[in-house]
Amino acid sequence: MPTIKGLRARARALLRRGAAERELDEELRFHIEMETEKNVRAGMNPVDARRRALRDFGGVEPTKEAHRDVRGRWLEELGADTRYALRTLRRAPVLATAAILTLALGVGANTTIFSAVNAVVLQPLPFAQPDRLVMLWEENPEKGWHQQICAPANVLDWQEQVKAFQGITMFFDGAGVSTLTGEGAPRVLKTSGVTGNFFDVLGIRAQLGRTLQPNETWAADGIARTVVISDRFWREQFGADPRAVGRSIRVDGQSLQVVGVAPSGFSFPVEDIDIWVPRAWKPGIRAQVFFRQAHFMRAIARIAPGASLETADAQLQAVAGRLKLQYPATNKYMGAGLTPLHRFLVGDTRLPLLVLLAAVGLLLLISCANVGNLLLVRAVGREREAALRLTLGAGRGRLAKQALTESLVLSVLGGVAGVALGIVGTRVLESLQPPGMLRVSHFAVDFTVLGYVLMIVAGSGLLFGTAPAIWSGRRSPAESLKQGGRGGDTRRMRRWTELLVVGEVALAVVLTLGAGLLVRSFRELTQVDPGFDPHGVLATQIVLSGPKYDSSSQARVFFDQMIARVAALPGVSAAAATSNVPLQGSGYTSDFVVAGRPAGEYYPEITHRMVTPTYFQVMRVKLLRGRAFTADDRAGGPPVVIINDEVEKKYFKGQNPVGQRLTFDKVPNAQSEWLTIVGVVRGERQQTLAAEPSIEAYVPAAQEMPSAMSVLARVDGDPTALGPAIRRLLAELDPDLPVTRMRSVDEIRARSLARQRFLMTMLVVFAAVGLLLAVIGVYGVLGQVARRRTREMGIRIALGSPVSSVRWIVVRHGLTLVASGLAIGIGVAVVATRGLTALLYHVAPADPATFVAVPIVLAVTGIAAAWIPAVQASRADPAVALRAE
Amino acid sequence: MHGWGISQRIQQFSRGVLDVNQGSLYPALQRLEQKGWIESEWQTTENNRRAKYYRLTRQGRRAVGEEAASWRRYVEAVELILEIS
Repeated sequence: MPTIKGLRARARALLRRGAAERELDEELRFHIEMETEKNVRAGMNPVDARRRALRDFGGVEPTKEAHRDVRGRWLEELGADTRYALRTLRRAPVLATAAILTLALGVGANTTIFSAVNAVVLQPLPFAQPDRLVMLWEENPEKGWHQQICAPANVLDWQEQVKAFQGITMFFDGAGVSTLTGEGAPRVLKTSGVTGNFFDVLGIRAQLGRTLQPNETWAADGIARTVVISDRFWREQFGADPRAVGRSIRVDGQSLQVVGVAPSGFSFPVEDIDIWVPRAWKPGIRAQVFFRQAHFMRAIARIAPGASLETADAQLQAVAGRLKLQYPATNKYMGAGLTPLHRFLVGDTRLPLLVLLAAVGLLLLISCANVGNLLLVRAVGREREAALRLTLGAGRGRLAKQALTESLVLSVLGGVAGVALGIVGTRVLESLQPPGMLRVSHFAVDFTVLGYVLMIVAGSGLLFGTAPAIWSGRRSPAESLKQGGRGGDTRRMRRWTELLVVGEVALAVVLTLGAGLLVRSFRELTQVDPGFDPHGVLATQIVLSGPKYDSSSQARVFFDQMIARVAALPGVSAAAATSNVPLQGSGYTSDFVVAGRPAGEYYPEITHRMVTPTYFQVMRVKLLRGRAFTADDRAGGPPVVIINDEVEKKYFKGQNPVGQRLTFDKVPNAQSEWLTIVGVVRGERQQTLAAEPSIEAYVPAAQEMPSAMSVLARVDGDPTALGPAIRRLLAELDPDLPVTRMRSVDEIRARSLARQRFLMTMLVVFAAVGLLLAVIGVYGVLGQVARRRTREMGIRIALGSPVSSVRWIVVRHGLTLVASGLAIGIGVAVVATRGLTALLYHVAPADPATFVAVPIVLAVTGIAAAWIPAVQASRADPAVALRAE
Repeated sequence: MHGWGISQRIQQFSRGVLDVNQGSLYPALQRLEQKGWIESEWQTTENNRRAKYYRLTRQGRRAVGEEAASWRRYVEAVELILEIS
């Protein structure tokens, strides 16, 4: 029975189509057999009986088809469409490669940036129940403080009185520098000074030994005895030897016992901490005024189980209010508050990341527009094929679905290539990001990132696939066949492609304008006069540590010698030392009082700096009045101070400050030290180039000796060449002292701009890619325009039109497209660039210069993109052109 | 009841009036099953062969009532029109 055999064969062939198909086969076979038996019982011979049964059934295959239609056959069709799509893409390798590369660029950029957003903004902090942790801060409207670091005495009061806090830990913001000695060459360690409950509050356990204990916050003699080391330090210094726990190391001349090793990967409050040292405050310190007056500790609290953020905040406000009344001298205006830790830490990296995310989003849209155009152009090329298939009975929906499948296949291929590109991109981003900018130094492409990528890949496939799909389903076959693929319908298609090109030009305009604003802002920043001359100065930071430098006279002797020897080095024209190199962070601040002013009048927050006499000469800071320090301004001599012109402008209007006296106490008393102002210098920008100089007081290092100073050497030529000589000098003076940091002041200035430069560079790169893609889009469309009008141009030239006016036809077409894109883009950008306001320096988000220059560049590029096809088309021999169709 | 059985019943009950292709029964069954009006199960027949049996669901039984009512209304309407004309 051949039919049965055929059925069986087919059944086998269909095996992989799944159970539904098998069941249907069996069901129908059962039916035919029953019917055959019935016919045999009625007296037919078996062959006739079967034939009759099959006839009555009305065709097995149509039934199955109908059954499949009911069942829904999208999966089957998807397979077929996918195979078909891959086959057609293989037949057009140039187009496929162009589309996949374009998409890979867009997807890759998105993968990279989103992986950073994911790591920095979306991932929870690596602490136990991180959403229960809050950053505590103080604020003071009088001093202009917002989210300030805390005075420890206040924090201790909060800890005792706010029941909604399970615990509060305090630690120094950032990292300190310590010196490890006695383990080979002296080694600079990144140190974090913390209270004993630091690890408990964060919920971090030691991987070996123990963490610190709450009682280690305090020590009767004020000397820390224990230390927790980082996993990295443990591996580098002790080769991961478990016996490291229990042994003692010498840090800054003190012996500390290693009690434990922090878990691998843990580093807080900043990256690459080597050791955590307990504060070891003397218990009596709580009663001292400075402990409530000086703000120098960050505080993180864990909200108690069951308590809400609101309760905790309310209780904190109540306590802070009580402290205002209880300690008016220090706390009269001191408010307090809390911010969820994650939000606090993400803080100002959020905006740059969102800007980058928006930029790569635009880039992806441009890629989609380009690929959509490619596909549309090809859909027209396949007009006849599609028309033929429609005529042969293919459903329009089916054709549209096929076109969409092709787009999705392209986007998946582009997506895979894009993820690969993105993984490389994250490595590049990791190495390019300025240290500390993004809080996280490793961006993994994890499932969140992949999910996001999948979403944008599917989204972009739909986005650029919709136009060709609609297009494929809409054609009227009769016309297409009649007109040989150049039918009136192509006009509609052309409108689509032109719309896409206008769109992508507009997107590129937005992207480029954004980048342009950042470039302008960066230029403004680099042209800021910082108040000193950063060229040709090398800064070498030295932190004195250990009992050798316990007294300030010892420190003074050391720095005097060091400066003298550095100044004597060949090529060095002058040397000095300062407690703070400008643009690398400023010193501590205090209130001050000017002698002879009304009683009770004080001025908040002047920045302090200790410098040696030649500082102003080395840094070329302009002396406006009076004199610089001299060697005569020595310890024990009459105390002197130099102020910057900001102080003069604010507090000595119309007076000569030189000769007047000031003290750094808020309420002067008999012990107050009055310093005579001997000079006024031009303000130096201390924190960033963007911030105006704040009020600052310089005192002679001899009269207030810091334990850490940067030695500055001015040279002709490259200051870094001096490095080895200075290191040798230091090793001769004290072999136990390492150089903690050595940078040219130019480099310090450049580093202070690293974030802006990074953001600008990224945006410029994205804008360049976006612009390139848009230009390719314009070029592609105009190429078609030129081809289409070759005949018309031929006629015109044959009739005597000048070539230039014929070219103008195509160029004008291009200009129309570019101009529309520009107009839309500028309109959007005027609104969109407002989001950049916080990132711009001395540039308005609607900066006229940028909004003129960028469109001109784009217009010129657009004309160039239009010119090439125009020239090609106009060169065609009129005779050939006329025969072209 | 299995598909073949159903087709025999339809033939019997309609006294041969509804002489459609037997094959068109199967897509119809599939459609009903998708609507949840019938459910199916593989069972063994009395002479020991495997067949797919269909059964009305509760939802299906309700649907039969509704569909029948709507059909009767339709028939009545048509008859009314025929009588008037």
